[in-house]
Amino acid sequence: MTDTTTARAGAARPRPPRRRTKQLSTSMLPRRSRLSVLVFLVPPLLLYGFAVLLPIGQSLVLSLYKWDGISTMRFVGLDNYVKMLTRDDVFWTAFSNAIGYLVICLVLQLGGALLVAGLLTALPRARELVKTLYLLPAVISTVAIALLFQRIYSLEPLGLLNQLLGWVGLEHLQTAWLSNVSTVLAAVSIPEGWRFTGLYMLIVYAALIAVPHELEEAARLDGASWWQTFWRIRFRYIRPVWITTTVMATTYALRGFDIPYLLTNGGPGQASELLTTYMYKTAFVHTDYGYASAISVFIVVECLVAVGLIFLLLRRGDDK
Amino acid sequence: MTPSRTRRRPAALAALTAVVLALAACSSTAGAKGSPDVAPSGQIVPRQISWLLSRPADGGVITAMEKIADEYAKDHPGFSLNLITTPDRPSYVQKYETLAAANKLPELFDTDATPFAQKLASQGRMVDVGALLDDLGLTSTYRQAALNYQRFPDGSLSMVPFEYSSEYFWYNTALFAQAGVSVPKTLDDMPAMCTALRAKGITPIALDGQDQWPLERYWSYHPFRQAGPDYVHKVATGEAHFSDPAGKAAATWLHDLGQAGCFQDGFSSTGYADAQALFTSGKAAVYNIGTWELANLATDALDSNVRGSVDFFTLPTTDGAVTAPDEFVTTSGIGMAVNAQTYDPLMRDFLAFALTRYPEVYAASGALSPTTTVATTIPGNATPLYQKAVDQAENVGAKIAVPWDTQLDPTTNTRLQQELTLLVQGDITPDAFLTTMDAALAENLGD
Amino acid sequence: MTSVLTTQVAARPDEPSRPARRRPVRSPRLRAQRTLLTVTVVAIVVMQVYPLVWLLLTSFRTAADFAGGNPFALPSSFTLENYGRAFSTGNLWLNIANSFIVTAGASVLIVVAGMMAAYALQVLGFRFSGLVRGLFLMGIVVPVQISLVPLFIDYSRIGLLDTHLSMIIPLAAFALPMAVYLFSSFYEYIPRETYEAASLDGAGPYRIFSQITLRLSVNTIITVVLVNSIFIWNDFIFANTFVLSDGLKTIPLGLQNYIGAMGNTDWTATFAAVCVTVTPLMLVFLVLNKAMIQGLESGAVKG
Repeated sequence: MTDTTTARAGAARPRPPRRRTKQLSTSMLPRRSRLSVLVFLVPPLLLYGFAVLLPIGQSLVLSLYKWDGISTMRFVGLDNYVKMLTRDDVFWTAFSNAIGYLVICLVLQLGGALLVAGLLTALPRARELVKTLYLLPAVISTVAIALLFQRIYSLEPLGLLNQLLGWVGLEHLQTAWLSNVSTVLAAVSIPEGWRFTGLYMLIVYAALIAVPHELEEAARLDGASWWQTFWRIRFRYIRPVWITTTVMATTYALRGFDIPYLLTNGGPGQASELLTTYMYKTAFVHTDYGYASAISVFIVVECLVAVGLIFLLLRRGDDK
Repeated sequence: MTPSRTRRRPAALAALTAVVLALAACSSTAGAKGSPDVAPSGQIVPRQISWLLSRPADGGVITAMEKIADEYAKDHPGFSLNLITTPDRPSYVQKYETLAAANKLPELFDTDATPFAQKLASQGRMVDVGALLDDLGLTSTYRQAALNYQRFPDGSLSMVPFEYSSEYFWYNTALFAQAGVSVPKTLDDMPAMCTALRAKGITPIALDGQDQWPLERYWSYHPFRQAGPDYVHKVATGEAHFSDPAGKAAATWLHDLGQAGCFQDGFSSTGYADAQALFTSGKAAVYNIGTWELANLATDALDSNVRGSVDFFTLPTTDGAVTAPDEFVTTSGIGMAVNAQTYDPLMRDFLAFALTRYPEVYAASGALSPTTTVATTIPGNATPLYQKAVDQAENVGAKIAVPWDTQLDPTTNTRLQQELTLLVQGDITPDAFLTTMDAALAENLGD
Repeated sequence: MTSVLTTQVAARPDEPSRPARRRPVRSPRLRAQRTLLTVTVVAIVVMQVYPLVWLLLTSFRTAADFAGGNPFALPSSFTLENYGRAFSTGNLWLNIANSFIVTAGASVLIVVAGMMAAYALQVLGFRFSGLVRGLFLMGIVVPVQISLVPLFIDYSRIGLLDTHLSMIIPLAAFALPMAVYLFSSFYEYIPRETYEAASLDGAGPYRIFSQITLRLSVNTIITVVLVNSIFIWNDFIFANTFVLSDGLKTIPLGLQNYIGAMGNTDWTATFAAVCVTVTPLMLVFLVLNKAMIQGLESGAVKG
């Protein structure tokens, strides 16, 4: 959760892949002892192991039990998983909501990032100012953002959004955005998208700036429109950065929690319940730690599958 | 690197299992003990004690207890009371339940009479407050309704009440006159009342839908009138069903309320303050809340435009009701449990002092005390309604409508709250509601 | 605030100067396009920033003005009472101090552990470094929620519950994979010859780490710290799960304090508190935003 921004991950640089794989197995230093490797490796590994790897293992074990935190643990085998996959309609609602949330966040974050970054490269001045302002929401805590958007979406008293609709003569569209089961999922996704679009925009912008001008000039001389240049040259060139950004935005959206939890707590009904909020509720409100662990194992699997899919697409794209 | 890595894996797994099993063992041993002697012998050794509570930081209870703790500390150097409050109830419940799981509860902690609290009590982790109050000679000073609210379904008492409040339907007489409606006699008159108010462009009822419990109150009203206070206990234990006649009637009634536009649009995302503002600003005609809000509803803190036209009525009855009109929701707030593991002569001595002293200090703030020993001080800026509300609270019948959220297991309760919103919003039918709820109940009963 | 930003804009010489080159041949059509572009960008920026301006304005409104007033209008009267209430109701200074301790602690841990791991993986190297690297990289996609229940149990066993460390450890550990990735990507580009030269001078792995690698890593360190700070400063989920006593509450939890019993919220005071708590990070951000933006950008293209 804390690391999305670093989304920049690898990518656009023209790196020599051969050289790198060879280096993996050998040292860059002529002399080093086994002890020195351990000295540098073990402390970070301990930290990582204690807070990330061990909990994954513990969750796997716990997910086989029924436990409320105060009574005796009861081994139930795979029943938590069976319940999750076959008997629990809320789980599936939460799963499909999580997918919806993912799609909306991706459109806002990546689409918004690409659009603004594209516009920005054509902007004659004040780019720094725009970049800074655009990044500003990322600095604000989700608790504050949730409070803010609660007022924005409100119907009674009339919130910003409904007021705005009233001004432009769209009164019939006014609704309680967080109460309406058909708008609430979008309403909780938008703040999340809004918050981070600035970060992704910066990354995409940096990649766009790095596109060699000669390529664009050549395309333009060939009579390509601005639009064609953008898609055929620029976008193709930044594709590696784009894929990395997609991976980051995807995994981050799949573990999105704060805003739906604080804004609607999953409601009305289960209309904005995500797997993460459902897992949290199961653990800390229902005190059903075993079942909650089963759900969190599912979330990890889901993230790994999503990233796997994206990489699969990436590789296929490269082959073409 | 290889050998150490392969060796580490089974070791880690074994350690993991050991941790989990140790936890299981640890929690099961806790269950063996019974409640401790309420009058332990030994010396009183002053120390710092903590109270994990869920009450407003500057509210009457905390202010009174801080004062009392200071008085006690004067005679007992070294004593101090550390109050850790989490006013937001869902966050509080999470905190307290996880602390219980970690076996880290402080000397005193707040809890409702929930199934979770009952498990703690049955494991002997809470002092038997009934016996303690008897031993201190205080039982008869408490209002029966205040004590009964804290009792578990089996009648045992493990929590001390610190508040007392009745819940009324506050209404705006001017808006009622404008729409030509009168106070509803029965619950079934309410949809028609709403329709008439809506026709005049008035929001009939202000509801804090965000916090869930206010709507769950509405769910409890109809069954309380039709089937009495036992229905909720029977549902909670699986002896009765949501689809029984009482539940069916309640679901239909709530659906009708929703269809009649009783609650403001978007009530499910309206918070406590906004709902109250709808009523106090004269936009909504009815508001269902307890006497803890007297300071905002019956003093000159209330907007002068509506101050003269606020009145209240109590829970309407139904045809063939089994409970009397003077029986409705009367709670004594979240209760305070005493941790059995840290109970010692000091705890007993402090509680004896504090509980004896509390009613006087608390009632002076204008709040209703859970005891009958003191009269509530009516604040200087009160409207006549203040006295009327206090008098009404002093005269309630024997049966009380218990809120469902303290009775059901938490998973079923969450589902009930979610489905109620959908039911009232018209997103699901009463039949679908009942089916879903019975299925949820069946799934969660085994726990 | 604006003046700071504009001077930075003016003082930025390295901006690609293509627009300037094209200026002489500006046609009416091109000018219309420019205007459209500017209007669009301004509109987007306003949409992005307006909620924050509104937040600030609301923190100066009276409660009555907020409840009954037009949310778009300027406050009918400016009041500082909200700030007074914000400070008297909560423990804002304490919350800020706690957020600072957690942010600083976790940042140090992330940087030190990240550099050490990257050094072992990339510079020292060993037979199964590929595997270990994979193990770390996997952490990038592991959602933090998995650790909540187990860590809660572990903490209660070893007495770490309700401490600053209980927040610092998982915050650092979950940020570690990305830090390791960034540092190793950077170390990959330090020429082998640098190390060889140092080795010939008799420097061992420890001295090379402290004298060469550390010194060269400053830019990456700044990027890692700044980016992670935003997330750690605002962390809600770990703090909400592991912190119990008031004395340890960080800013997000402090803000939750303004939600009273039964869910009654003092909105204007809450917004005032939000403004106060946003300020430290906002200041750091505005002062260092150029470094951070450059770090992010160079991270994006160079890794």
